[in-house]
Amino acid sequence: MARKTGNKSLQAKLVLLGDMGTGKTSLVLRFVKGQFSEYQESTIGAAFFTQVLSLNEATVKFDIWDTAGQERYHSLAPMYYRGAAAAIVVYDITSMDSFVRAKKWVREVQRQANSSLTMFLVANKADLEGDRKVSNEEGEEYARESGLSFLETSAKTAQNVNELFYEIAKRLVKANPSRQSGIKLHSRPTESRRRYFCCA
Amino acid sequence: MEKKRLDDYEPGPVPSPKGVDRFGFVKQDNTSDGLVKSRSAYEYERYREERRVRKWRKMIGVGGSDWKHYLRRKPHVVKRRIRKGIPDCLRGLVWQLISGSRDLLLMNPGVYEQLVIYETSASELDIIRDISRTFPSHVFFQQRHGPGQRSLYNVLKAYSVFDRNVGYVQGMGFLAGLLLLYMSEEDAFWLLVALLKGAVHAPMEGLYLAGLPLVQQYLFQFECLVREHLPKLGEHFSNEMINPSMYASQWFITVFSYSFPFHLALRIWDVFLYEGVKIVFKVGLALLKYCHDDLVKLPFEKLIHALKNFPGNAMNPDMLLPLAYSIKISKRLEELKQEYETKTGKIRRAREVSEKPMLPGESN
Repeated sequence: MARKTGNKSLQAKLVLLGDMGTGKTSLVLRFVKGQFSEYQESTIGAAFFTQVLSLNEATVKFDIWDTAGQERYHSLAPMYYRGAAAAIVVYDITSMDSFVRAKKWVREVQRQANSSLTMFLVANKADLEGDRKVSNEEGEEYARESGLSFLETSAKTAQNVNELFYEIAKRLVKANPSRQSGIKLHSRPTESRRRYFCCA
Repeated sequence: MEKKRLDDYEPGPVPSPKGVDRFGFVKQDNTSDGLVKSRSAYEYERYREERRVRKWRKMIGVGGSDWKHYLRRKPHVVKRRIRKGIPDCLRGLVWQLISGSRDLLLMNPGVYEQLVIYETSASELDIIRDISRTFPSHVFFQQRHGPGQRSLYNVLKAYSVFDRNVGYVQGMGFLAGLLLLYMSEEDAFWLLVALLKGAVHAPMEGLYLAGLPLVQQYLFQFECLVREHLPKLGEHFSNEMINPSMYASQWFITVFSYSFPFHLALRIWDVFLYEGVKIVFKVGLALLKYCHDDLVKLPFEKLIHALKNFPGNAMNPDMLLPLAYSIKISKRLEELKQEYETKTGKIRRAREVSEKPMLPGESN
């Protein structure tokens, strides 16, 4: 699976959170399958994907949990962000409500999840510039204040989608030079135990 | 809505006229769902279907006039026939009879129209956002603002007004969508009411209320049943840290109408409307039982994948449903419900005492 693998391989649980219809599933499908569909079926419950990314220094295997976005499903979410090494909180640049909701997710994850978690705030649907309701600056500023990384993406045009996952992978590798919390490191890419590792 | 760059990035038109299956879903070449049959098998099937339709017509009478009488006299015959599958051409009518929705409709003339036309709902935007994302591969629902999408919107909006506590919750669209393929908007609305408010069986609205209390209860019951009926798999699940919420929450929330082969979903719905939610547990257990020997060998990622993509042969209704019927759970299901209520009652009391917040959805 890994062509230019270094000697390190790590497995990381990643969760996507955000309001309904912001494009969480579309971002994952763009990244995992290189596909986009305009009318992506709503996610009920949660969906699971895996994808391997090869960096120069290591291979990162993502276990991706894509959650249902509607507020009502909130009670199912903790299971997915608990123990996650990375979180992507998504909003839709054409919806101020989704930005407000994203801020709530950020606060909740910062309060509840693993403290070493890498979190990205992602402004999706950047291709719909004409319908934009949340400015780039607004998103960026909120991310800076909250200590998150920020990217504008479009699952439709693929803008910044691979960059997003590469960037997360790089941070995870950098943050985990040796065995410690957050990510499961294996010296060999074998099917070995556990991917849910709670922080100690 | 989209303006530029469409030509570069459009995935192309939806592959429509190429072919739809017998239920109206656009065919995806790789999923034949075992529906490809030889000519003689097909002929035989048709003959059987015709014979069944005749029996059914006799049983229900014109427009369902004899139904109640027949049901009172021979409930066991009704049950047996429903388990074999309701003929597709009578499904819409029979579903309304067995769910009690027909009575609701007759008792509430004009109510649906009132809800659709004159009332407004706080959920309208949520509904709109999901409309084109509900059965996007079905011809009836594909057309933007076409009749399918309009009916779906109306039914969901009407329900969100009818019961403002529930409003609109993702997942309800699949229920309503499935119903709309077999009946009118107003009929579909009352059937939704019959299910959620409990005309015949226990009300299902708890699946959609804040905190999804009924989903949590069903998942608890299901997890226990897996451990009792399939102990080896139950143990494997806990070793691999598989929580039933990861694969089964959508089974309950949409009664298998989401991401399951449609012909199987229909057969499950036949039984579900007559016998209640028990069949959802039974089908879930039957799926796990059928795939048991493969599942116990799989590590986490492959296991999750397998639990969301059962093989075609496992989803053959004529194999799966008899297997499901053979699993007896009624008594245990009731006991587990009591157990769950005691458990959550304790947690609630403990929380009140300690004031320590506990995350909803936290099991073990």
